[in-house]
Amino acid sequence: MPTVKRNRKKRPIAVTLIAWAIFILFLVRLYQAIEPLIDAGIFENGLREPLFEGFQFTTQGWALFNSAAYAFLSISGLIVLIAFLRMKRWSWIVLMVWTAISLTITLLDYFYDQPNYIVMASDTFIALALNQADVQRIFRIRTDPGERLD
Amino acid sequence: MNDSIDRPRMPADASDFGLLRRFEPVLMFTRGEKFYPTDVETYARESSLWSHAPESPRSQGEWGGRDTLLVPQGELDLQKLIEPRPAPFGTVHYLRFIEPLSLSEAALALAEQARLNAESDNVFHAGLGRLARGGLLPRVVDALFSASFLLRGRVPAALAAAAEIAYHHIQKENPRYTYYGRVVRHNGWTVLQYWYFYCYNNWRSGFNGVNDHEADWEHVSIYLYQEGDQLVPEWLAYASHDYKGDDLRRRWDDTDQLDFVDGHPVVYVGAGSHASYFRPGEYMAEAHLDLPGWVRRGFAVFSQFWTETLGQKSFDPFRIPFVDYVRGDGFSIGTGQSAAWSPVLVDDSTPWVSQYRGLWGLFARDPISGENAPAGPMYNRDGSPRGSWYDPLGFAGLDKVPPPPQALTLLEENCDKLAARQSELDWLIPQKAGELQALGIKLKGMEGNPHLARQYAALEKVKDGLGAEVRALRREFSENAALLDGLTKRLERLRQGIQDDPQAHIHRLAEPVVAAQMRFERAAQAWAAISLSLLLFTIAALMVFSPAYLGAGLAIATILFLVVESILRGAFVETVTVITTLLAVVSAVILLFHFWYWIFIALLLATAVFLMAQRLRELE
Repeated sequence: MPTVKRNRKKRPIAVTLIAWAIFILFLVRLYQAIEPLIDAGIFENGLREPLFEGFQFTTQGWALFNSAAYAFLSISGLIVLIAFLRMKRWSWIVLMVWTAISLTITLLDYFYDQPNYIVMASDTFIALALNQADVQRIFRIRTDPGERLD
Repeated sequence: MNDSIDRPRMPADASDFGLLRRFEPVLMFTRGEKFYPTDVETYARESSLWSHAPESPRSQGEWGGRDTLLVPQGELDLQKLIEPRPAPFGTVHYLRFIEPLSLSEAALALAEQARLNAESDNVFHAGLGRLARGGLLPRVVDALFSASFLLRGRVPAALAAAAEIAYHHIQKENPRYTYYGRVVRHNGWTVLQYWYFYCYNNWRSGFNGVNDHEADWEHVSIYLYQEGDQLVPEWLAYASHDYKGDDLRRRWDDTDQLDFVDGHPVVYVGAGSHASYFRPGEYMAEAHLDLPGWVRRGFAVFSQFWTETLGQKSFDPFRIPFVDYVRGDGFSIGTGQSAAWSPVLVDDSTPWVSQYRGLWGLFARDPISGENAPAGPMYNRDGSPRGSWYDPLGFAGLDKVPPPPQALTLLEENCDKLAARQSELDWLIPQKAGELQALGIKLKGMEGNPHLARQYAALEKVKDGLGAEVRALRREFSENAALLDGLTKRLERLRQGIQDDPQAHIHRLAEPVVAAQMRFERAAQAWAAISLSLLLFTIAALMVFSPAYLGAGLAIATILFLVVESILRGAFVETVTVITTLLAVVSAVILLFHFWYWIFIALLLATAVFLMAQRLRELE
């Protein structure tokens, strides 16, 4: 029986490396989502106080808010990771936006709080790797003169 | 248009005046234009003559100095203008079309201008504004450029209004549209120059352009060659802002670039700027902010890193976009138009052309000269001779181009010379090569005889020299053959009457921009108008309510503004890429600063592993 060759785009090494960086970030953000809940004792004791006092968060409210924000980043990272490995154009754009937001937060942390250097390094690596001409061509972000956009 | 693209001809013995009239261009203006070519005699009569003496001879153009009225308004004419007036070095003579205005006079002029505009249907609509066409960064630079007028000399806004009113009255009394024509003959070319004088350039105040100044001189040149006893037009050159040399001229048969009315070329005139264009449309002109050298050098290094290392698109944040509106939908002058020309013949001996070296309008003391009036057709602002006057061929890059009939002769002469040299080489090379072989044989015979060592060494030098000579001759023969082949092919084409591409000489073609590229045009314009102020309000709010987070707030606000801008401009992906790359560069610097020791160790380890892998592979 003749074998049928599937016309698959070859995934360059840079894409695989970016995927690993996203995975590391996913783990870090997941930890950051859980950490405030542990610190606030929510896992042990549950929610024992209201989340707001007037217009301000309580300690547990802040913990829940932070946890939700990082959980959102973490889950969106996972979705992007899957689409990125399938080399979808939109995943490149979302990943770039996501990296921009993440880098902004990390840099603000650096100047005003405790920075997370692993996140900073991963984000920097992702941003620079996404800028590679080969990667941009694969995701149809950059096209050469005369090249057709399918 | 393009009623006639067949080249009109004129007898070679036609008078200069006849030649000028036959080819005089049609000028088409943009709706809303207020100033048209006028005669210098009336202008001089309406002006006063002044001199500006600097505090010291070296401080020309700077603040300070003394202005003296030499001839008051109403007493000046072209005769008085050229009277000799000895003055110390650095003195600037200038005319004032509009006398200094008091506050009430300025207010009256502005009100009168508004009334005139309300009565007229000659009104300008900007369409998509220039600020919306550039990004946020050029808008910031534009604000700095506008602020620079506080430090630089500038022409006050009311002056434009007063000039408009004065010109309106001149035209009402004696409506004339004048050009000053000049005919010169250089290197086989007959050059017709048409000089246009405008009372005022209101590009900045009337059309959001770069500058305003009293008086404006513009010109157009037509280049003719002689064929038999006829003169035939071959090239046209229009003076423009950002172009020079070859890029200024178009060939008469370039129908993509030229319009004609009954054999007269059409010049599309920039609104307020009065620059001349071949095609109607809206042209992006660029002004650059004058910055210290170290800032420019620093940016050049960053720019190289940005484009070559990071592979990003190059950009220049110090350029300010301006639009030169060249719509050709307004008033027009010339053959078949609503107004006819009143031509005046001038040459080097015309007294007001050659003997008045001063400025034709207000000397605004602008150190970068954008707001100072220009000098006459023959001179630059500093009194030095103007290139386009004394070298009209060089001005349009035609100094290296012979007229078509001579081109054929010159090409034939070149081919003949080259062919003769090839014949000579054809005979010479075998001779020299034979000599070289004879020397080689002689040297071979001397080998193994130690007593001939001295002669051998001397002969070897001769052999080396001869070898080099033969190589050079062979190279020359080969290069000449290629050149001769090219020239012969060109000669054949010319003999068959096949011409080059009419745009082959153009390095940078002036092209109008696409009218609108924005998704949300009105929103984009509104955003362009308010964004910079909104950013400043945000900074002020941060300083009042959250001074501790000023830096962070400013960074976030700027990023948000850029993102909104990019959505409106349809450049979201590009903008996000630039922002992320910049943030990554900052992060990389921080990481390098904190972890340089570990990064160095990591590099060492990586190098060691790489080298080990290489060596082990060799063992396999």
